[in-house]
Amino acid sequence: MNAIHPTVQVRQLSKNYGSVQALKNVDLSIAAGEYFVLLGPSGGGKTTLLRTIGGFHKPSSGQVWLNGQEVSHLPPDKRPTAMVFQAYALFPHMSVLGNVGYGLSLAKLPKAEVRDKSIAMLEMVGLKGYEDRRPHELSGGQQQRVQLARALVLDRNILLLDEPLAALDAQLRKDMCLELKHLQEKVGITFIHVTHNQEEAMTVADRIALIANGELVEQGAARDIYRTPERRFTASFVGENNLLSGTVASVEGDTVTVQVCGQPLSVDRRDLPVSTGATVALSIRSELVEMVPEDGSASSADGLSLAGTYTESVYLGLTLSHRVALSDGTQIVSRVVGESDAPPPVAGSAARVRWKPGALRLHIN
Amino acid sequence: MTAPTDNGLDGLPPVEPYRPTLRERMSGWAFWVPIVFMVLFFALPMALTVVFSVFERTMFWMEPGFTLAAYENFFFSARLENFLSSMGYSLISVVVSFCLGFPIAVFVRKSVPQAAQHRVVLLFILPFMVSEIIRIFALRPVLQRNGLVNETLINLGLIDEPVTALIYTHTGVVIGEVLSFMPFIVFAGFLAMEAVPKFIFEVCDDLGAGPVRRFTDVILPLAAPGIFAGAVFIFVNGIGVALIPNILGGPGAVNGGLIATQAITALDFPLAMAVSAIMMATLMGLLYIGHRLFDLTKILAPMN
Amino acid sequence: MDDYANIWLHRAKWAYLLLVVTTLMTPVFYVMYISFNENGFGAAEYVFTTRWYGLIFADAQLMNALRWTMSLAAVTTVLTIPMALLAAKFYKATRAKVPVVFLLLAPLFVAPDILSAALLVFFKNLNFTFRWLGDQLGVSFMDGWAQLGFTTSVIGLIIYTIPYAFVVILITMGRYNKEQTEAARACGATGWRAFWDIEFPQIRPGVFSACAFTVILCFNEYTRTSLLKGGFDTFTTVLVSQMLNSGMSEQSYAMSSFVSFVAIALIGGIIVFTLLRSEAAARRAQPVAEPGTRSTAAA
Repeated sequence: MNAIHPTVQVRQLSKNYGSVQALKNVDLSIAAGEYFVLLGPSGGGKTTLLRTIGGFHKPSSGQVWLNGQEVSHLPPDKRPTAMVFQAYALFPHMSVLGNVGYGLSLAKLPKAEVRDKSIAMLEMVGLKGYEDRRPHELSGGQQQRVQLARALVLDRNILLLDEPLAALDAQLRKDMCLELKHLQEKVGITFIHVTHNQEEAMTVADRIALIANGELVEQGAARDIYRTPERRFTASFVGENNLLSGTVASVEGDTVTVQVCGQPLSVDRRDLPVSTGATVALSIRSELVEMVPEDGSASSADGLSLAGTYTESVYLGLTLSHRVALSDGTQIVSRVVGESDAPPPVAGSAARVRWKPGALRLHIN
Repeated sequence: MTAPTDNGLDGLPPVEPYRPTLRERMSGWAFWVPIVFMVLFFALPMALTVVFSVFERTMFWMEPGFTLAAYENFFFSARLENFLSSMGYSLISVVVSFCLGFPIAVFVRKSVPQAAQHRVVLLFILPFMVSEIIRIFALRPVLQRNGLVNETLINLGLIDEPVTALIYTHTGVVIGEVLSFMPFIVFAGFLAMEAVPKFIFEVCDDLGAGPVRRFTDVILPLAAPGIFAGAVFIFVNGIGVALIPNILGGPGAVNGGLIATQAITALDFPLAMAVSAIMMATLMGLLYIGHRLFDLTKILAPMN
Repeated sequence: MDDYANIWLHRAKWAYLLLVVTTLMTPVFYVMYISFNENGFGAAEYVFTTRWYGLIFADAQLMNALRWTMSLAAVTTVLTIPMALLAAKFYKATRAKVPVVFLLLAPLFVAPDILSAALLVFFKNLNFTFRWLGDQLGVSFMDGWAQLGFTTSVIGLIIYTIPYAFVVILITMGRYNKEQTEAARACGATGWRAFWDIEFPQIRPGVFSACAFTVILCFNEYTRTSLLKGGFDTFTTVLVSQMLNSGMSEQSYAMSSFVSFVAIALIGGIIVFTLLRSEAAARRAQPVAEPGTRSTAAA
């Protein structure tokens, strides 16, 4: 990867629909060969961003650079991008082979070559033998494979995928995720993939950008986004984080003490500009929280635990979630893996949630 | 990952500077052609009727000026009376068409399988595809003194004397209008019923609402915009299509369209324009009222 | 209908529906019936003949009128359909949907006599204006512009037919998924190619139906043509003037039937054609066996 010439660069991009701002000054840079995921809630602007890169929307302001050239004024067919759509975007009146070969025949390639390339690409996506089918004779997963073949056969160096797996059922989506990842590694071109599903994003992405309310909230490697979210929103959207709000009681060097429900918690400052008395947010992933019955042995002194009331446990198969309510009603979830035959505590009994140093993260608004 | 070590640009075709071709630039304008055409040859002529209606009448034509003679001619003569009574009969046609036709639309939407619905509605296009004028003329041999209806009734022994009120009367006009325009209430009702989801019928059954309550409380409010559009269509055609009173009507059966046609035959062009302007005003008024009452843009929902 | 509904009530409703259709068609069928009677309307004895049809086809004036009718229908269709297509595309793309749809559907709500009276006076005035302009400029080439004739009839017929064509095409377009156009653009197609290769084949049934509608409407039209036509006669104007002047003759029954036959044959043909096509499509949609070995995607 080369940082000097990013394959895709978006500069100060804004898109307005009347008074609605779908994108607000987004800056983004994606390197060659990267699998990049735009993750975010529906209506957050991630699809708008992808479609603006693809040329289906004109930016209201800002620029899109692809392969080192400014392309904001170009229609989709003049851009070095190919695209895979949500669903139903196959041409129903053409065979599978016709669909895949359409772009090549537009480019006036000889018929035999169109055919050979299309068949090769169909083989690559695992649809050998389906050449003469009509799209409606294929399953949802097969249709999306045909879309992939249709886009990849064009030999462009950027592939845009707009929620390509959204219409598939859960199991198929998991399988297709892995296939997509492997396919991208094989062809080595830049993939930009839009999804609202974080598991899908985690599976495929080299890097993830979180988009919400038309803004780029945070970007980084998939692992970092999950483990060390910078922003409160990221913590609330990715993974299963407990969110707390509190007031800064004191700042000592790198350690901040935050008062939550009258109990002190200590958290790493991470060079954030915080001052005593400010309201801040704290997040902690539920799998890092341990619940213990309140037997008086533990105390709040180390700033790594909170006392509350046990409310219930939810069995989710692989994991078991214990819920503990704090005095202000905030629910803390402790997620543990594995079966436990120990009977759960009595609802309403006193309980304590605790964690290891460094698990809690500080966010300022 | 098999990221290339170069900057990702080598070996790619350079993106050429994009200049839209002449055809691409022209194609944007082509979409305005129908709009311009309709403004030029429909909206403009209809609007100009107001202007031409106040022109001075000459022997064979008219000349620019300002006079209300044409309106005087319309409002202070038997024409107004005829026009108003044609409105009354047109209203009767609307009601009769609605009562006969709308239940069909409800039935098709409610009880016919989804896939077959459009085919059933197509049946009603069939009569509409035969020239309106021929259908109206064809009513003469049917409704006449010795026509199909009377012959049949006499043969069946239901009547002794032929019924003469069926044609060359206001009744004849109403029959003609109903038979000509009823398919439209079926179409309009069919489209309007798209606004009434099928589960509504089940909900009504669950709640124990009878057919009457179901119709007045649920179907009518939801389908109102479409029904109104169909009703206005029949009404304005009832007062506007000259051929029906001309062929099936008797004395006094003169509607707006016939007044205009007669005025043109008599070379009284300002009068014809005044009648047109009045008809347009009536239509606009009705559409405005309908829009205020039910928001007619809802009719467009199935087309979006 | 659900399982608990009264089957006889359901049948009664069907019977009513068919009765209404039959009633609507009865006058036309009755005229057809009369048109094959040697003795004409009201005769005590029915003798089958095709003589009256023979008379029509032997009548040079009528055949000439028929030719005019056909060329009017052809030219109007050729102009209306592309305009309706453009208008439907425009409607889909624009945000100002209400004015566009009002402009295109309003002609439905204007009675034929009113619309043609307004157009007649408009064209006459336009023609006078062109003549006057020509006089001022000392040229005569504009004298014929807007003169009543073929062109003005075609304009009147376009205004009449475009709402129907627009609605039919728009409804067919409603079933088209515009992501396909975007997919085609992403494959490198220009806007025009995407329309022609991808969208048009899918809305073709609607375009064909719109064509048939337009042809039939033109073929049947009387009021607008008769006021705007200027010199020539069409089949319906000859027929109507005959009927208005001398009442229904045996020949006019035959002429009416002929026009009806053409219309019914056209629309019937289309219905049968679309039914057959949709049956065939349904058959194709049956699941097909998987090809021999189903390989999974390359890993």
